[in-house]
Amino acid sequence: MSRRVVAAITALTVVLWVLVLAPGPAAGQAFWPKDTPKLPMATTWIARKAKLPPYTPRRTPDGVPDLQGDWSGAGGDNNSVLEEHEYIDVTTPAQESFVSDPRDGKIPYTPWALAKRNEILAGLARGWPGESGDRLYTSPGSFCLTAAPVFSFDAQEIVQKPGYVIMLSDDAYRVIPTDGRPPISQNAKFWLGNARGRWEGNTLVVEVTGLNGKGWFDSTGQFYSENTRMVERWTLVDANTIDYEVTVEDPTIYTRPWKMNFPKRRAGTGPSGAPRGISVASTLPPVNNDPYANELWETACYEGNTESLRSIHSLGYKWFTGVTPPK
Amino acid sequence: MKTSPFLGIVFGLAAICTLTPAPGVAQTSATTPYTPPRTRDGHPDVQGIWQALNTAAWDVEDHHASLGVPAGRGVVEGGAIPYQPSALAKKQENFAKRATLDPESRCYLPGVPRITYMPHPFQIVQQADKVSMLYEYQHAVRYIYMNGNPHPRGPIEWWLGDSRGRWEGNTLVVDVIHFNDLTWFDRAGNFHSDALHVIERYTPTSPDHMLYEVTIEDPKVFTRPWKMSMPLYRRQERNSELFEYQCNAYLIEQEWNNPASTLFEKR
Repeated sequence: MSRRVVAAITALTVVLWVLVLAPGPAAGQAFWPKDTPKLPMATTWIARKAKLPPYTPRRTPDGVPDLQGDWSGAGGDNNSVLEEHEYIDVTTPAQESFVSDPRDGKIPYTPWALAKRNEILAGLARGWPGESGDRLYTSPGSFCLTAAPVFSFDAQEIVQKPGYVIMLSDDAYRVIPTDGRPPISQNAKFWLGNARGRWEGNTLVVEVTGLNGKGWFDSTGQFYSENTRMVERWTLVDANTIDYEVTVEDPTIYTRPWKMNFPKRRAGTGPSGAPRGISVASTLPPVNNDPYANELWETACYEGNTESLRSIHSLGYKWFTGVTPPK
Repeated sequence: MKTSPFLGIVFGLAAICTLTPAPGVAQTSATTPYTPPRTRDGHPDVQGIWQALNTAAWDVEDHHASLGVPAGRGVVEGGAIPYQPSALAKKQENFAKRATLDPESRCYLPGVPRITYMPHPFQIVQQADKVSMLYEYQHAVRYIYMNGNPHPRGPIEWWLGDSRGRWEGNTLVVDVIHFNDLTWFDRAGNFHSDALHVIERYTPTSPDHMLYEVTIEDPKVFTRPWKMSMPLYRRQERNSELFEYQCNAYLIEQEWNNPASTLFEKR
């Protein structure tokens, strides 16, 4: 989707947000009709990936797999819902789970954490079935915060330098050292955590620790904590597709490690327009003669959303400070 | 002839004065012969983690200390910013009300050149088609395109403007336009309009230093173009890296339950 369309939709969304008081005033939204086929996610992707022939990526001059280029992916927007669900409303069509393991597509919360997650879900006040009627929390993503690397940060370009992998987007970046340096003390917590990368065969492995546990994976309160470790695996499975896998570990809130998988597609080599749902079918690159098409332009999300900040605050939502499981 | 000791002191002082750079002029000089290494694309390699080490973030002009504000020499060549009379009055009003009017107090993107001399490091990443400036402050990014595209046609009002770069010898020259009128140059209320035109020059003067020179043009606010200059320093710590300063998150969290907060008021 072109930046201008996204900007227009963002502006329109902000207006609609104020009108209908729905949370999540962010870019990349579409309005989905009720008969939208269920969007494919992890199950479909894992099945397709299993049929792909082995692929050996080309190497950079430094001899590591070359992941560089412009990418677009199934990464969520602010209305993303992580687990499988049927059609809910125009922002949220039926969709498979992002979770590939366990096979049931559900995050394996401990009983305490599941109760907490359901409490948040019931208090979203999005007009969804099963809500309690309370306004509890709105997605931290509504405030344009760059939180957990999954979903909230969309790597639109990958650049590799000796000792670093750099991921760029139109409003933030990640710089991931791959030189073996130790992470910062676990007493130091960050919205994006502290990332350390290494190469294993054809895969970039990124360990993220030092998370502050205040972000969500999606817009419906799927949380992690400040004890969570995420291990990302970025692997080219053909010239134009990266398999993104993240293993999430946290014995304080999950009964076991769990995984999400989705593909990222080299920009301009697949269907465009749909911000969600995996897109693995190879099609001819869309012709785009706009010389600025590949430039990343300022979005100023926070600066442009002060009205929604005021609205969310005035509606009485609480600020999500993270979860503290009982000892 | 015997020289008077007094004359000797005078000559000595004169010599010291001659060797001392003028106030506001960075000590690293653009004329220092230094040839930086090259990137694979053949351009001067200025990649790495850099930071200003001065008090321009508080006030780009000469200033004394106050609580939380270190005293410092200005970085404005010639000493004072050449404001038009009405603009000077506005600057003084900004200064008086800086605690609430400074856009930094709302954690907004701080504009250019202010983001360069915030008290946070930034990292430069070079590619063939652009130079990326990654700022620790607010995870902010600025892409300086060198892909042959001119500035896009306006009107556009961006917080960090639209940056187009080119190499002149060893100097990265960046032309920046399409600003809004909401950012300041410092915490002292020095300001500009949406007609701001910034020309930055980054010149490596040693493996660990760059001279950063900025020309400011804004005919709505100033009587003439004016310049800032300062050295930038490569961070020397082993394993130095950018962390994060997610200003808006800290601010919203602090103010959310503050009944007296003005953050959620219209302004």
